[in-house]
Amino acid sequence: MSTRSKIIQAIEEIAAAQKKTLAPLTDDLALTNSGLDSLCFALLVARLEDETGRDPFSESDEVSFPVTLGELIALYEHEHA
Amino acid sequence: MANVIITGASRGIGLAIAQALVRDDYTVIAIARQETEELAAARQQAPESIYFAPFDLSEIDKLHELARELRARFGPIYGLINNAGIGTEGILATMPESNIEKLIRLNMLSPIMLTKYVVRSMMNEGAGRIVNISSIIASTGYQGLSVYAATKASMIGFTKSLAREVGRLGINVNAVAPGFLETELTGSMNDAQRQRIAGRSALQRLANVEDVAEAVTFLLSDKARNITGTVLTVDAGSTA
Ligand SMILES: NC(=O)c1ccc[n+]([C@@H]2O[C@H](COP(=O)([O-])OP(=O)(O)OC[C@H]3O[C@@H](n4cnc5c(N)ncnc54)[C@H](OP(=O)(O)O)[C@@H]3O)[C@@H](O)[C@H]2O)c1
Repeated sequence: MSTRSKIIQAIEEIAAAQKKTLAPLTDDLALTNSGLDSLCFALLVARLEDETGRDPFSESDEVSFPVTLGELIALYEHEHA
Repeated sequence: MANVIITGASRGIGLAIAQALVRDDYTVIAIARQETEELAAARQQAPESIYFAPFDLSEIDKLHELARELRARFGPIYGLINNAGIGTEGILATMPESNIEKLIRLNMLSPIMLTKYVVRSMMNEGAGRIVNISSIIASTGYQGLSVYAATKASMIGFTKSLAREVGRLGINVNAVAPGFLETELTGSMNDAQRQRIAGRSALQRLANVEDVAEAVTFLLSDKARNITGTVLTVDAGSTA
């Protein structure tokens, strides 16, 4: 499964489990308008670390949380330097 | 059985918690810098239930990797007992800065950072228990322990707000505040000295490490499913 589909699937499952209504998941969707709250994003980071072995937010102090869904996916797709 | 990480499990309270949890069928991952004879003996008796992971918890920047390794080796982590700690005394005005920093690093920064990474496994499972070992010194004054007291009080604030944060995900977070305990230290005092300390408590005796361990096993059990964000004091009533 591609990184992109892993992330989309994780977002959909987390939204369902946390009873959140998701906006359509397009690349330019602002994460603040996605329907997920900050705890849901923490869950997403935890789950993706488990599945991909990566946590881009701890890999460097400079990474700030992305604004759009496309940026979030790019962060995970980008190979760890 | 469910995996529980106990920091500082080589002796004292941590070892007693490890023994009680093995009895209750948990799998214990015991962290300390060095293994003691007592921990080695406990492992020999229950080789399938208790594992030793040597690690210096003051190495903050390696805690993420530690959490990953333990998760990969043992599977999901159900419980985390933040127990390792040092009790360095000192009059604040003359206490070496390095001692102040060491206390804060091991007693405060390290458990917060370890929890940050271990709680992720619990979040993924939608279940977990965290117990932070504080002290009655967090809420009662004691000369020479101001920095220690600050670290122990911090664990209570940490407990309450984290309980709010992760409660929705099925994770309970509590603190245990032991009083002055019957340990090797107090064992070496003479009767009069021990009497004097015990005499200040409601029950006229000292609590021991097993009492603290039972409080922790309770908080991990299903019986405590509706208890979160609290402090359980185990001090034979010395702060009553
Ligand atoms: N005893 C009491 O009367 C009392 C009362 C109230 C609260 N408490 C609290 O209860 C907790 C345990 O106390 P205790 O009396 O059982 O302590 P203890 O007998 O001194 O044991 C401390 C444990 O922590 C480990 N540890 C210390 N520094 C470490 C480091 N840098 N990295 C990894 N492990 C480390 C030790 O193993 P290594 O040295 O091998 O690393 C040992 O296993 C502490 O948080 C203390 O503040 C104790």
